[in-house]
Amino acid sequence: MTYPENLKYVKSHEWVKEEGDTVLIGITDYAQDALGDLVFVNLPEPGDEVTAGEPFADVESVKAVSDVFSPVTGIVKEINEELLDSPELINQAPYDAWFVRVEQITDEEDYMDAAAYEAFAKEEAEG
Amino acid sequence: MITKTAFLQTSETDPYKNLALEEFLLMNCQPGECILYLWQNRNTVVIGRNQNCWKECNVSRLEEDGGFLVRRLSGGGAVYHDMGNLNFTFLVRKEDYNVDRQMNVIIRAMEHLGIHAEKNGRNDATIDGRKFSGNAFYETGEHCYHHGTLLIRTDTQKMSRYLQVSPEKLKSKGVQSVRSRVANLCEFCPDCNVELVSRAMRQAFGEIYGIPAEDFPMKRLEKSMLEQSEEHFSSWDWKYGRSIPFQHELSCRFPWGEVQIQLDVSGGIIRMANVFSDSMNPDWTQTLSDALEGQPYSQDAMCTAAGELPGDIREDLQLLIRESI
Repeated sequence: MTYPENLKYVKSHEWVKEEGDTVLIGITDYAQDALGDLVFVNLPEPGDEVTAGEPFADVESVKAVSDVFSPVTGIVKEINEELLDSPELINQAPYDAWFVRVEQITDEEDYMDAAAYEAFAKEEAEG
Repeated sequence: MITKTAFLQTSETDPYKNLALEEFLLMNCQPGECILYLWQNRNTVVIGRNQNCWKECNVSRLEEDGGFLVRRLSGGGAVYHDMGNLNFTFLVRKEDYNVDRQMNVIIRAMEHLGIHAEKNGRNDATIDGRKFSGNAFYETGEHCYHHGTLLIRTDTQKMSRYLQVSPEKLKSKGVQSVRSRVANLCEFCPDCNVELVSRAMRQAFGEIYGIPAEDFPMKRLEKSMLEQSEEHFSSWDWKYGRSIPFQHELSCRFPWGEVQIQLDVSGGIIRMANVFSDSMNPDWTQTLSDALEGQPYSQDAMCTAAGELPGDIREDLQLLIRESI
């Protein structure tokens, strides 16, 4: 299980990478591992608004759908279309497989750094 | 840890109302609580969250027969519901979500009916390798459900009438159904009916969780939330308009020539239509292509779009549309 230092994390197991005045959002290694092999990802469209703490996408593994929550409020600038054809990329390289790029950010969830998230995920795994 | 169990069975058979109640229970299930909800839909095809309804279900046949098409929140493939089928949902918070434990309720309920059932690798329940219970799962934040069917005396002819093998010329993204050999419980337990199975489920639920299930207090339901959710489940956008892009090619040879119609559909709307024909005066192909673009992917809208074409061609193409869509 990896937790890159250059990313920020939220409790619902998404990561955020800041790039200029936009952010990339994806799901963490812990999340992809818990979900199992993904067969489908449903993404919003460019121009859609996302809200911090609200679902903005969903992923499907064998017969199980899980909502993916947005760590920020803003406007979708770009989506990672590659994931639509190859959702398995999320399992293979969760920190490269960004879902959306968001701009015009007006709000964000409380972030954790890599060390804090690692401790949080370990605690959750132990139940 | 589960410290409270609640049981709710509805006599409503409208699928949109039933899914609305399921979503309400999902969002209102308390920490430490597990709710078992039993429900039945009349004449309904339920598709998975990320499925193309036209690929998995013969929508026009279903609608002609007055049936309902429903898209659920969970994943997986298309199933058929009638009054010979009983649905169950376990609603629980994430920390207490335990598929094995929930499946054990089904297996135990079957024991009470004298049936030896097993769980298979796809989290379905089977008897002698035949599936009588298809299960699917949904999780949003801390809220989870696990639901499924229990085939008691379902009309399997209707099941195959509506759940079609996908049309060859329809290529779609999204999740495809996996065909299974199915079984009705009445084959193994001739006296089996919805009431007996419901009772067995409630009893097994209490046993597996070690707490007899109390009736769910109906005063917890909130009418406005239920209505809002029902509206969402029955809306065109949710049923047909999900952004699962697909291509469908219609083609046929007529006395006046051959025709090929290529459709690009997304969100249930025809985004692009290419029409080809080797007929003598193919000027109408552009007319048709223009008329189709922007229309919903439905028999009626497409037949109307073909309404401006010359007589013979119009009638033949309208027939082709009715047969293909």
